Amino acid sequence: MNVPYTTARRSDTGVNNVTLGMWLFIASEVMLFGALFSSYALLRASATDWPSGPQTLSLLYGLINSVVLAALTSVVWRARSRSPQAARPLLLLANSLGSIFLIVKSLEYQHDITANLLPHVNTFLAMYFTLTGLHAAHVIAGVAANFWVVKGRVDDAMFAGRVRALALYWIFVDIVWLIIFIFMYLL
Amino acid sequence: MRIFSTDHKVIGLQYALTSLVFLAIGFIFILLIRWHLAWPTDPIPLIGALLGEARSADGVLLPDFYLQLGAMHGTTMVFLAVVPLAVGAFGNYLIPLMVGAPDMAFPRLNALSYWLYLLAGLVMMAGFFLPGGAASSGWTSYPPLANIATMGQTAWLLGMFVLVLSSMLNSINMIVTILQLRAPGLTLMRMPFFVWAMFVTSFLLLIAFPPLQAAAILQLMDRLAGTSFFMPSGLMVSGKALEATGGGSPILWQHLFWFLGHPEVYVLILPAFGIVAEVIANITRKPLWGFRAMVGAALFMGTMSFLVWAHHMFLTGMGPTMSGFFQVTTMIISIPSVIIISALVLSLSGGSIRFTVPGLFALGFLPMFAIGGLTGLPLGLAATDIPLHDTYYVIGHFHYIVAPGTLFALFAGIYYWYPKVTGRRMNDLLGKLHFWGSFIAMNGVFLPMFLQGLSGMNRRLYDGGRTYTAFRGFDGSFQIQAWSAAILGLVQLIFIVNFFMSLRRGATVGNNPWNATTLEWQTTSPPPAHNFAQTPTVHRDAYGYGINPGSKDPGLHRDFSPQGEP
Repeated sequence: MNVPYTTARRSDTGVNNVTLGMWLFIASEVMLFGALFSSYALLRASATDWPSGPQTLSLLYGLINSVVLAALTSVVWRARSRSPQAARPLLLLANSLGSIFLIVKSLEYQHDITANLLPHVNTFLAMYFTLTGLHAAHVIAGVAANFWVVKGRVDDAMFAGRVRALALYWIFVDIVWLIIFIFMYLL
Repeated sequence: MRIFSTDHKVIGLQYALTSLVFLAIGFIFILLIRWHLAWPTDPIPLIGALLGEARSADGVLLPDFYLQLGAMHGTTMVFLAVVPLAVGAFGNYLIPLMVGAPDMAFPRLNALSYWLYLLAGLVMMAGFFLPGGAASSGWTSYPPLANIATMGQTAWLLGMFVLVLSSMLNSINMIVTILQLRAPGLTLMRMPFFVWAMFVTSFLLLIAFPPLQAAAILQLMDRLAGTSFFMPSGLMVSGKALEATGGGSPILWQHLFWFLGHPEVYVLILPAFGIVAEVIANITRKPLWGFRAMVGAALFMGTMSFLVWAHHMFLTGMGPTMSGFFQVTTMIISIPSVIIISALVLSLSGGSIRFTVPGLFALGFLPMFAIGGLTGLPLGLAATDIPLHDTYYVIGHFHYIVAPGTLFALFAGIYYWYPKVTGRRMNDLLGKLHFWGSFIAMNGVFLPMFLQGLSGMNRRLYDGGRTYTAFRGFDGSFQIQAWSAAILGLVQLIFIVNFFMSLRRGATVGNNPWNATTLEWQTTSPPPAHNFAQTPTVHRDAYGYGINPGSKDPGLHRDFSPQGEP
């Protein structure tokens, strides 16, 4: 059986199933992170004292990861207009960047833990660990999805559709990271 | 039939059977509670002895277990029974058939969503076997109480996390299927109202559920990592200061919870509207009155449902400005419900109504939902909500919407589409007994709640509040409710017998036993793999009832024109 419009565009909606599904997924994810950022705003606004992000966290780790994730996203973005033969190595490159991100993140966590910066110390750190942890889970899921697409033996149209969906996903993950970076490390 | 199937029909049936089992479990929870409220010192017959020492003393419920039953009754009914039955079962089975598609847009994700739902349900139920028992802080899990509750609450939160994933996959699938897989000719306004209802419902689930997931993550952090998202400073528990950094906000949980919680109400009611609309058009043999207004109302209702959540929170001291805003939005959101229910009632006028079993349930839905809806108005205004808050009045109000309301609609749907799913019809006499028994018993359970609530009876009191002088004198009404609940249970046995007996003994039917118009009736009963021998083409709107002079069909005496026939 073939489900119609998995790869072909439907003329009256202007999209195919995979693209629409990914946009809906992102809408749902926006609400997930949106709720967490709203909680952050509410807790910070009502806090009697709030530690300064730049003085508590290490800006270096955050900056490195911002650059790594931006590079990762642009690599996946480039892969979307390529043939499967050219796109597969790009996705693997993206995955090595994803691994670097996760390694840097765990080094940072290690650094935090040795400095006794733990979630139960204050609400700022609680929010920091929750947001970055959930974001890191999204990076892990994205790396797994990249692998799944690289390994998948499907026709070219299907492959291209999957890479386009991946690109949307990574842009979303990148934007979430930038918001976390600004509100946690800078403000 | 494979267990790990990706066929939407198999998944729909898996959802149906699982959610019906959870419905029965949730009902047993409340039977125990009803007995306890009516006869607090008498041991519960039969099951009382099986509960064990941690839960009961000689068959009488212990306070902790009573609270677990209350919390898990609500959780099971809302999250594991009614929504999965309405959206998972009816949606999955019918939507592809109604839009003329071979399957859902993402069949494998669809299967995953079912298995995640089952996992979520099992995790939540597993709470009963943990030390300290299941979640016991109410179905709303308000902190700080929920933060310091026993391990069952952690199971509840993990289950909820998984359930939101399941619901997200299902709603993405539903929306993409409805928008992308419509058969040629099936324009948006030709879609049956049920499809529209599921479309709006899926958006609500997609957008409203993630904030609860976020809240569950934060509460898990509070419970497991020692954070204080929901823990205020200076909290005393059992006379001792709690060791937490504090600075959190218990109200934050309420905002996040009700941001889901209120759209969830419309998730419960919209599929019911959809089913009732299909059945009413069929039994009156007329197009729905005001179909376009109904669709508009459903869309408006869905949008507005995101702007009313804080009417659950008038007692939190959020101030008159906030209360004012949410009172206005709450009054506004009653309008689309009234439009839909009025359109359904007006659809009846002038029809020669066929009192089939699904028809009876659909007709029973209308006054029951009206009672539930109208009793909600005083709860939407702060001045009247404050004395009624947390009383049985509230319980009466929302049970009229979901029990004789949504559940009646779901029963109507089961009787209506059973022939399509199995190729056999359910027994009519047993069906009618089921309807009238349920109708009387449901009112026997829920009608006294309004009077109890108006007299100030609190909703969560162990042994019915007999410890307090103010709450004595309810024995009579509690006993009426207990008897009604027992009768309600017995009547459901008729349904269960009918359901299984008809699988073998029911009269066999053709493709279209109800002479209905929508696409699912144009394939065989049960439908083959991939639903249609060839993709149908749609030629008219969903309710081609009445003799249609424009039809090329020579048999003008026929009073319906199927969507798929030229």
